[in-house]
Amino acid sequence: MSKKKKHKKTKSNSEDSSPDERFGLNEPTGQFADLDEEMKRKQELERQKPVSGVRRPVAGDSSSDLTFKPMGWKGIEEQDEEEFEKDVAFEKKEIPEDELDMTPMVDVTFLLLIFFMVTASFTLQKSLEQPPATSDQPSTEVLENDKILDDYVQVTIDQTNTFYVTTRDAEEVECPSDSEMRARVKDAKETTSATRLIIVAHVDSTHAKVITAWDTGVVNGMTEIEIQTTDEDF
Amino acid sequence: MTEEANIELPKRKRNPDDGELDITPMIDVTFLLLAFFVVVSRMDPQAAVALPLASYGDSVQDKEAVTLIVILDKDTGEKVEIYKGRTMRDDTRVPVGDEEFQEENIGEYVENELSSHPTKNAILIKAEGQVKTGMVEMVKRGIAQSELAKSRKIFVGIEEEQ
Repeated sequence: MSKKKKHKKTKSNSEDSSPDERFGLNEPTGQFADLDEEMKRKQELERQKPVSGVRRPVAGDSSSDLTFKPMGWKGIEEQDEEEFEKDVAFEKKEIPEDELDMTPMVDVTFLLLIFFMVTASFTLQKSLEQPPATSDQPSTEVLENDKILDDYVQVTIDQTNTFYVTTRDAEEVECPSDSEMRARVKDAKETTSATRLIIVAHVDSTHAKVITAWDTGVVNGMTEIEIQTTDEDF
Repeated sequence: MTEEANIELPKRKRNPDDGELDITPMIDVTFLLLAFFVVVSRMDPQAAVALPLASYGDSVQDKEAVTLIVILDKDTGEKVEIYKGRTMRDDTRVPVGDEEFQEENIGEYVENELSSHPTKNAILIKAEGQVKTGMVEMVKRGIAQSELAKSRKIFVGIEEEQ
């Protein structure tokens, strides 16, 4: 920064001077020999002074003599350049580092973000409560449909995953599709107001079909749902 | 012009911080997104289980349930594999054998799990939709062999329809 200011100052001063007096443009004429010596002296003095962060023009040097460095016509001398570099390095050290470097943190954050975005699974996995299995032995208790007082809706799933819907008093109806089974169960529920759904599934039927039948019962407000499995072909 | 050029060149060198962007809002948004994904994501390697679809279901916390996974063999799609726990590894797999042996194995596992983690109040069967009903029933019979399981509810995993 100091250099920048200095340059600006130099420029403005040089503009005030006559064209012949501008440094760096014309060949040295020797007319500034005295000034050169004076400048060297001042520079010596300045070097001996403790270096401060910012180099400012010395008070009283407002006249053009401050800025007329013996640069000759080459522009900035090598020595000057070196001096300047030192100044810059020193200034950098002096700047208070009160700001944290956030770059590594941002890198890590992005990495984590990408990781969680990739691994996130939004599928809603839920569950249905089902009664525990009691026995794989055939039931010894004989119940005839006539003896069951409550109305019920029965969904049978055979070994080829075909649904059959029946009620206590109705004939069995084959339902080739899930939606037809749903509609039949809904009708049966409305006509009989049964709250009990019996699912009779063949052991070779798929689990998904049983869940579909169960879900139909839940949707239609069946409060008692039971599953029976059989290995006898229908 | 020579003088101008001499001044301009070092200027660019000496002011490297001029074009710095303010990245604070970007970091804010990134953290927000990160927090969102940390909360919603589940480190569940069982997403591969194609659970059957249903309209309604209860939420059962994985940590509160003893989980059993029933899937079809990925290569042939015929053989059924039963895994004890939430991870599908060779060492968690129920050994191949007849039904009685497998039921016993499942019963032992459930009993051990429930005795070592008495806070677990449910048993969750995550069975693929294409698994046969008979296999799911067999797993249920295995669970029924555990005395401690009798006081717990049994759940079957489903995927809620959107």
